[in-house]
Amino acid sequence: MLFKSVYNEFIKIAAKPRSYLGIGAITLLVGVILFALKSDGLSILSFVTSSFEQTLSFEGNLLNGNLIAFIILQMLLVQIPLLVALVTGDLISGEFAMGTIRMVMTKPISRTTLLLSKFIAGAVYTACIIIWLGIMAMIFGRIFFGTGDLIVLNTDGLVILQEHDVLWRYLSGFAVAFLALLTVASLSICLSCFSENSIGPIVATMSIIILFTIIGTLEVSVFDSIRPYLFTTHMASWRNFFEEPLPKTEIIKSVIILVAHILLFLGISIYTFNKKDISA
Amino acid sequence: MPESVISIQHLSKSFGSFQAVKDVSFQVFQGDVFGFLGPNGAGKSTSMRCMLSLINADSGDIRLFGLPIKDHREDILRRTGSIVEKPDFYKYLSAFRNLDIFARISGTNSSKKEIYAMLDFVGLNGREHDKVGGFSHGMKQRLGIAQTLLHNPDLIVLDEPTTGLDPQGIIDIRNLILRLKDEHQKTILLSSHDLSEIEMIANRMVIINKGKSMVEGSVKELMSTENLFIRLEVAPQEKTMIVLKNAFPEIQIQAKGENQLEFHLSRNQVPNISQLLNSHEIAIYSLESKRSLEDYFIKIVQQDAI
Repeated sequence: MLFKSVYNEFIKIAAKPRSYLGIGAITLLVGVILFALKSDGLSILSFVTSSFEQTLSFEGNLLNGNLIAFIILQMLLVQIPLLVALVTGDLISGEFAMGTIRMVMTKPISRTTLLLSKFIAGAVYTACIIIWLGIMAMIFGRIFFGTGDLIVLNTDGLVILQEHDVLWRYLSGFAVAFLALLTVASLSICLSCFSENSIGPIVATMSIIILFTIIGTLEVSVFDSIRPYLFTTHMASWRNFFEEPLPKTEIIKSVIILVAHILLFLGISIYTFNKKDISA
Repeated sequence: MPESVISIQHLSKSFGSFQAVKDVSFQVFQGDVFGFLGPNGAGKSTSMRCMLSLINADSGDIRLFGLPIKDHREDILRRTGSIVEKPDFYKYLSAFRNLDIFARISGTNSSKKEIYAMLDFVGLNGREHDKVGGFSHGMKQRLGIAQTLLHNPDLIVLDEPTTGLDPQGIIDIRNLILRLKDEHQKTILLSSHDLSEIEMIANRMVIINKGKSMVEGSVKELMSTENLFIRLEVAPQEKTMIVLKNAFPEIQIQAKGENQLEFHLSRNQVPNISQLLNSHEIAIYSLESKRSLEDYFIKIVQQDAI
């Protein structure tokens, strides 16, 4: 029954116009960024590298596909949670708003199975968004800017990663970024269980992300104890794969915290949805 | 004694401080077309939602096919098709795709051919691939009935299926329900506040009001024990009132217009009226007797209000 229900959820997601907003937005934004960097990327790059030119000399194609992909990811992974929440925040509450939940829940499918099927479909949608972002950033970046070593500016300084050492870092980074976005998807599905309209969970998800991000960035000691455990603190941990040496402990910690949040949100969702009166 | 398909005993459900259902009990037997009657807000939909496990009852015993719903929800729903309140579909999907989705989670493997046949059965052939968003209320009701039948259930639960339909739509749905009973031998629970509809379709019924079941039984039996509504056109009006009051002290007569009188009278006393009035040389221009569930229903509801 779970497989059949997941298939149903795919059909529903595929048929909703809003599902394509994310794909469309990524395509458009990546296009704009590629155009901007093609036009003025070298001057931006020289602004960054100028401070190192007294001690280092740069050779080769610095403004290459690998750097472009990194810049795109850095810029877009902040906005993508909204695109994910647009679809996943509607998965349960949208059924209430349309009244279809009554029809679905008079069928011999358990509430837990229905919720899990929506979670799985939401996860696949999130993966599609990430994969599309990866394709756009890496393939189009390489087509327009070629390849080369990757130079990343961190708080500690410049990290230079050789061309052959980059791909696995991107794939691992995408995997962690997927976990971060899946956390957002789980949160919005969870909030969706408390609501009977589509907009509420989407707005609430973004509000929580903004609030947690502010708490995470405020240098106030009162938040020191909770900051490491907020999922928003670990949403950019994909960047750890572009450090040298690789901060394995940090990465593992981030993965554990993100997975713990996903399980927590999923648990709350299952409990709430099973207790909920379907009076819509 | 036929098998009990639905057994509800002392069902109650509150939403906060509002008690929607206080004490509802009734039984539906195999092969029944069972009327679930009550005015708006009587607790019909809440009772049906509890029955189908959409909401959790506060107390009471709900059994379908002899099994308690809270322990055997999926087994029961596999044998039940239902529309609660109104049929809502995925508006952005076609009629075919909607049925395909519901078939997949109904515990059946309906083929494309079976889905097309079902759409044909409810009169939606030719509209299979149209998006439901463009359907009229009547078409959605018919699609809703198709959705209830996909997995060939033994019990069909329909919540006010003719509400909001035009006269032709009402006739279509009524005929569809009768076909389900006659041709497919389904047990049907039908809620309605349209009393004439229940009178035409149902063989048994329960009347609920303010969350309580008032009366339950065979429609024929309940109707035959009731008073008839009498409308007389006579002259002189005042003399007629005196004669009738003397003969039937328990009745309450209402004078309507110049020569009209209206009252309720026991069915077995109706034949005496013309003889009585003739003996007092009262001219009878018309005598209309009406036996309607509506009167019975209003009386039951009014009794509860006192």
